[in-house]
Amino acid sequence: MKTTSWNQYSELTSAGATVGFEPVCHFDRELKQHSVGGEQSVVHCHHYITLFTQMASDAEHLDGPMHLTDAAAESFYRVLKRYIATRGITLIPDRIAVAEAYFSFCGLGKIRFVCCGESAVATLSRSHIDDGWLRRWGQRDKPVNYMGAGFIKAALAVTFDLSDWQDIRVTESASIVCGAPESEFTASWRMERHGD
Amino acid sequence: MAIDREKIIGDLSRLYISGDENGLIPAYGVLLQQMPASFWNNFTSRILTTAPDELTEAAEMLLENAAAECGYYTGYGIVQSEEFKAVVMPMVEERPADILRGLYGVFGAWGWADAEVVELEPARRMVVHARHYYEAKTPNISRPCAYMVRGVSRAFMDLAYGGPYPNGLGRFRCQQTMGIEVGDPYGEFVVTPQ
Repeated sequence: MKTTSWNQYSELTSAGATVGFEPVCHFDRELKQHSVGGEQSVVHCHHYITLFTQMASDAEHLDGPMHLTDAAAESFYRVLKRYIATRGITLIPDRIAVAEAYFSFCGLGKIRFVCCGESAVATLSRSHIDDGWLRRWGQRDKPVNYMGAGFIKAALAVTFDLSDWQDIRVTESASIVCGAPESEFTASWRMERHGD
Repeated sequence: MAIDREKIIGDLSRLYISGDENGLIPAYGVLLQQMPASFWNNFTSRILTTAPDELTEAAEMLLENAAAECGYYTGYGIVQSEEFKAVVMPMVEERPADILRGLYGVFGAWGWADAEVVELEPARRMVVHARHYYEAKTPNISRPCAYMVRGVSRAFMDLAYGGPYPNGLGRFRCQQTMGIEVGDPYGEFVVTPQ
């Protein structure tokens, strides 16, 4: 089944979406494991993610930020892909709405996507990582939300049926941790076309 | 009444959490988040397999330290919480040992592991056995790699015996002596003073 008109160059958002993220949450008493939408899930605090983020940043020469982004993209892609597949969600606004709601469900903040052609802008009015970083260390002059970039890759790949989230380029162009009122990510990709 | 870990896990695991109107989960004096366990494991695997040999030990220390800070600050918030007071404190007979044992009920309720204190010499030595901990699924690492369990375990010992909060962090260390990820039936973690 063909999804809606992803190739139209009009803005696509979650406006008018008819679904949200309402996962099956389960706790296995035997294994002591939570699952959300069929994926094992764990609770941690902002200290944990900000220290992972600092570690990634300090390991820039070892591609630390990229590792954090890719780890997030790989994990979130699996959850989102399974969710829309099992529920037969094909409309782009609905898929965007699922991604936005999942982000908030996880406690990662509030994200809104505006997609246009082969690009998108994701705006975070609140951000778990940025808020956590500011609590621990205060402002800094470089963005830190590598994990968020991975989530955005996963969300866009699932929304537009892209075969590989690694082909999506994501840049954090404004950052709460740097003093901006909202974080903003720009993303772009190339759709696969017959004859390419 | 002795600490009933299964009851603690049963009661506290029902408290499903999700983001508020801002998409955030403020609780226990920190901001929480819940993400796929594979995210944490994937990053650990990627950073450890990329780091050159001379940096491996430092990377492992940083991973454990991240968990220790998480365990110390969040653990303190948990002990102060109404939920802990309602569920765990009525079982506490011996402080702080029973509070420490009760924290491992929270450990299970949050999905970190099925972990329990099997030996405790107050302020001197604690042995924890953990089953089903998610770090055992860390890909491409062939040595004990339960950095989260290690860090949180020593942080809990810091909370119990490290001195007044918030100045007790880092008084204990944790050695992982067994691991599911290396073929053992469970992970074993031995916490002793620094």
